[in-house]
Amino acid sequence: MLTTPPHLYIRRPSPTTAEFTVTTCPPLTIPLRLALLALLTLRITVVLSVIIALYAQFASPPPPPPPNRTTTTTILSHLSTASLLDALLALQTSPPGQSITRLASALPASVLALACAGLLYAGLLLRLHTTESVLVLRGLGIQIQTSSHTAGAGGSARFIPTAKIQDVLINEAFKGFEVRYYLVVVVEGEEDVVVVFPRLLPGRRIVEAVWRGVRGCLYEPGEGGRKDGGVER
Amino acid sequence: MHPFSTLTLGIFVAGYITARWDLVTRLYELAIFAWDYGVVSRAAKGFAVLTFVFLAVFIPVQRLATLEANLHPRSPGSGDRSSWLATPPLSVMPEHDGLMRVFWPADLPRSNLKGVVVGWRNSALDVFVVAILDEVEPRNVESALKLGTLFRNAPHPVSRIYELCGQSSLYVLGLSNTPETVEVDPSWVRVTTGPGHRVPSVSCARASSIQIILFERPLPGRMQYISLNPIALALGDKQDSFRNYFSESGEEEEEKQERLNKKKKQQLVEKLKDHSVIRHVPSAKERALAKIVNQMNWAWELEKLIQKNVSRIGTRPKRSLSVSERVVESATTMRDMALVWLWDLMVVYALPIIRRTFVMGLICHRIAAEMMLRVLEWRARPRYAALKDISATAQQVEIRLQQFCYWPMQYVTLRLRKNDWESVTTSHPDYIRFYNSLWLVANDVIIGIALGSYIIDNSDWVAEEISRLLSTYTVEALQSSISWLMGWPAGLKLNTELAEFLGDLFLWVIDYWSSCIETLHPALPHIVSIIGFSSFAGASMPIALLSDLLSILTIHIYSFYLASARIFHWQLNILISLFHLFRGKKHNVLRNRIDSCDYDLDQLLVGTILFTLLFYLLPTVVVFYLNFAIARMAIISLKAVFDTMLSCLNHFPLFALMLRIKDPRRLPGGIRFELRDTQDFRIAFRDPPRQLPSTSVIYLKSTPLNFKAMFHQYFQMGNRIRKHYLSPRVLLCLLTGKFVPPLNRKNLYSLQYSMLPARRAGVMEMWDAVNSLPGPKRRAMPIYVPALANGKRIPSNYGGGRSRSYA
Repeated sequence: MLTTPPHLYIRRPSPTTAEFTVTTCPPLTIPLRLALLALLTLRITVVLSVIIALYAQFASPPPPPPPNRTTTTTILSHLSTASLLDALLALQTSPPGQSITRLASALPASVLALACAGLLYAGLLLRLHTTESVLVLRGLGIQIQTSSHTAGAGGSARFIPTAKIQDVLINEAFKGFEVRYYLVVVVEGEEDVVVVFPRLLPGRRIVEAVWRGVRGCLYEPGEGGRKDGGVER
Repeated sequence: MHPFSTLTLGIFVAGYITARWDLVTRLYELAIFAWDYGVVSRAAKGFAVLTFVFLAVFIPVQRLATLEANLHPRSPGSGDRSSWLATPPLSVMPEHDGLMRVFWPADLPRSNLKGVVVGWRNSALDVFVVAILDEVEPRNVESALKLGTLFRNAPHPVSRIYELCGQSSLYVLGLSNTPETVEVDPSWVRVTTGPGHRVPSVSCARASSIQIILFERPLPGRMQYISLNPIALALGDKQDSFRNYFSESGEEEEEKQERLNKKKKQQLVEKLKDHSVIRHVPSAKERALAKIVNQMNWAWELEKLIQKNVSRIGTRPKRSLSVSERVVESATTMRDMALVWLWDLMVVYALPIIRRTFVMGLICHRIAAEMMLRVLEWRARPRYAALKDISATAQQVEIRLQQFCYWPMQYVTLRLRKNDWESVTTSHPDYIRFYNSLWLVANDVIIGIALGSYIIDNSDWVAEEISRLLSTYTVEALQSSISWLMGWPAGLKLNTELAEFLGDLFLWVIDYWSSCIETLHPALPHIVSIIGFSSFAGASMPIALLSDLLSILTIHIYSFYLASARIFHWQLNILISLFHLFRGKKHNVLRNRIDSCDYDLDQLLVGTILFTLLFYLLPTVVVFYLNFAIARMAIISLKAVFDTMLSCLNHFPLFALMLRIKDPRRLPGGIRFELRDTQDFRIAFRDPPRQLPSTSVIYLKSTPLNFKAMFHQYFQMGNRIRKHYLSPRVLLCLLTGKFVPPLNRKNLYSLQYSMLPARRAGVMEMWDAVNSLPGPKRRAMPIYVPALANGKRIPSNYGGGRSRSYA
C-alpha cells in the first residue's frame, strides 16, 4: 500500500527539455498521507524505545526519582540536560518503558547493541521510496539521477554531455531467473556503459517510452533514421 | 561623505553661525512664539488626519486599480504591437529547430531600468549573458565594444579573455525592459527582468523554444570555479610513467591479469562502436560546452570590469574637479604618497638582500638534498634494490626531500598566477596540492614534537617497555611455543626424534639471539632517545624508524620462517614425486606433464618406503612451519599498520577536506542540472506583453567533489594490498611452503608519490625558476596626478579616466 510498482512521470516544459522520473511513490492521497503519518509515529516510537533500552542497559542503574521537583518551569528549564534525563527516566518508569527495560536486561549486551543499531538504522535513515530520473536537455546532454538508500545522503547525479554520448539503446539481461530490459547510455571513451534507472529497472513498457522520449528530445529532428522506432537488442 | 569634506562643512557651518548670530536668535524666538500659540499641536493634528485619510482611502483605491489593471492586461502601445507581431515572423523564420539557449547568471543584479544585454554569442541561437548595462544606447555599446572601451584599465592583457573564452569579441545580445515599440535586430533577445523576478523572461524573434540556463557565477577571487571533470587532487603525469616502470621491472601475476582484462574490455568497447548505425555529428551547440564552462568561470570578473567602464560609453562627462574637491583630493593623497614612498624604500633597499640570501639558502639546501637523494637512489645494478626500497626510514627521508625540492617549483607556478587574470583556473589544483603538502608537513612536525618530547622525557621507561615486549614476544613466546611443539602438542603424536631435533635447533638459535639482544640492552635508551629526537622532523620519522627497528629485531623469526618453509617445501616436492612413482607415473619436465613410466622393482620398493617415511614425518615439519609462518604473518600485518599510519601522515587530503567543508565550490566535481517548474515562472509574468515561447528553466549547479573521489588513492592502495595478500595465490604459497613475497614497496608507496612529479627538477632548473620570479611590483601611484599639475609624474596605469583608478 505504501509503495507501488515503478511508474513513470514526465515533465516537459518545452519540446527540447524533458525529465522522465520513475518512482515507487504512489500519488499522495489522504489515506496514504495518514499511513505515512502512522509510519512516522511508529518510527519515532522505535527510536525512543531504542534509546530507553540503551539507557537502561549501558547507563548507570536508574537512581530513585528525584523528589525535589522545581516549581518554576520555564521553557528553558525544559531544555537542559537534567530535565531531559528526567523525562527519559519518566519514560522508563512508565509501563511500556519497564517492559522494554526488562527485555533489554534479558538480552546480552552485544546482541542488544547490534539490534539497537539495526533498529536505529531502520527508524532514522531507511528511505521508503526510490526515485530515479533522467533529464534530457537538447544541445547539452543527459543527466541521470538516483536517490540514495538512506535519508541523510542526497542522491547521486551524473551528467553526460551530448558530445560524449555514443548511443542510447535498450538492452536485455538476466537478473536472477528473469530477463530484464534496461536503458543504457553508451559513453564514448569509457569502458562501462551507464545504466539508466539502475536500482528500479522498470518494465519494458516504461523503458521503451523513455527511450522514445530521449531519442526525440536529445537530437534535432532533422536527422533521419533516428526516430524510426524498433527496440535495439 | 569623506571625513575631510565633513570637517570642511562643519567649519563652514560654525563660522556662518558666529558671523550671523542675530539670525539664530531670531529663529529661536520664532520657535518659542510658535510653541506658545499651539502651532505645533495643530500641525500634528493635521498630519494625523491626512495620514488616516491616505491609509483608509487612497491605498485601497490604488490596490484595487492595480488588481483591475492586471486582470485585463493591455500593452502600452497596442497599435504598434500588431504591426510588430505581423512583420517579424514573415521576415525571419526560426532557425533549425528554433531552440535558443540562454545562459544567464542567477546572481546578476536585477533592475527595472532599460538596459543593453552584453555577452558572448557562441552560435546563432546560443548566447551567454555577461552583463546588463543600464541606461545606455545599444549603438553606443556596440561601438564601445568594437573600440574596446569597455576593457579600459584592465589589469592584465585582454587578449587572454578572448583566447580562453573561445570568442573573438563580446556582442550586444539584446535589450532588457524595452517596450515592444522599439524595433530591434531579429537576432537580439528581449528580456524582461526586475527586482521581483528571480527568472528573467526572454524572447527572441528567431527562436520557437527557449532554454534559460541559470547559474551561480563562481567567484574567482575566492578561487571558486566550475569544471566538467572532477578536480584532480593527484598529479596526473605520474600514473603512466609508474606503470611503464613496472612493466620493465617484471610485472606481477595479477598485474598481468588486470592488463589482459582491460584489453578484452577495450575490444568489447570497440565492437560496441559498430552497433551504433548512424553517427550523430555533434552540432555547434553541443561542442560549445567546454567553452561555456570557461565563460562561466570568467563571468564574474568580466562583468565587474565592464560595469566599471560603463561610464565611458557615449558622451564622456567632461567636468573638471571643483576647487573644494581638489583640496580634498590632494589632502587624501598625501597619506597615500607617504605610504608609497616608504614601500618604495623597502622594495629598493631591504627586499633584494633578504631575497638573495633566501634564494642562496634554498639552492644550498637543494644541492644537499640532491646528494642525499643520489645516495638513497643508488643501485649497484639496475635491477637491484636501492636503499629506499628496503628501509622505511630511507623512503620517508626521500619523500620529504623530494617534497622540499618540489615546493619552490610549485611556489613559482603559484606566484606566476598573480600575473594573470583571477579567472584562469588551471593552477587551482596546484594550489590545493601545494598547501595540502605544506599543511601535512606542518601537522606532522607538530605531532612529532609532542611525540618526541614525550619519548625523550620518558626514554628510560620506553626503552624498558620495548625490551620487555621484545623478550616476551620474540624470545619467550617463541621458546614456549617450540617447547610445546616438542612434546606432542594438543595430543598430536609427532615424531619425537625429529621434533626434538628441530626444536633444539631453533631453541639454540633463539638462545644465541637473546644473548645478542641482551648486549643491545644498554644501548636501547640511546636508540630510543635518537628516535625521540628524530621525531622533531615529523611524527612520520619515528614511525618509519620503528618499522625498520621491528624488521631488524625480528630478523630471527624471518630466518626461521625461511628455513622451515624451505624444509617443508622440499619435503612436499619429494612426496609429490614419490607419489607419482607410487602410481607408476613420472613428471616429464620437457613437456611439463605426467607420463607413465615403467619402474624397476627395487626402485619401486625404495621409493615406496621413502614415501611412507617422509609422509609420516610430514606433520612434524608442518607444525613447525605453521608456527613460524603465523609469526611472520603477524609481523607483516604489524608493518602494514605502520605503513598505513605513514601514508595517513604523508598523504591525507586534509586541505581538500577542509575546503570541502568550508567552501565546496572550490572543489568542483562536475556539473548538475535541475529542471525548475515553469508554473510559478509564468505566474510571475502575469501580464505578458507578448506570447512567450515555450520556455524551460534550468539551473546549472556545480557538484562538489565527493568523498569517494577524495580518498580514491586510498581505495586504490587498499585494493592493491588486498589483491596481493588475500589472493588464492598467497594461500597456495602458504600451503606449499613457497616464499610469500612481500608487497613491493614502490607499489605501496605509489600513493605518496602521486603528489610528486615523475621527474624532479634539477638544481639549475630550480635556480632559473626562482630567479625568473618577478620582483615585487612597485606599487603604482594610487592617484591620478593631473597632467597639468607639473607634467612630471604620470603613473603607469594612467588611463585618462576617473581620478582614482584604485578604489
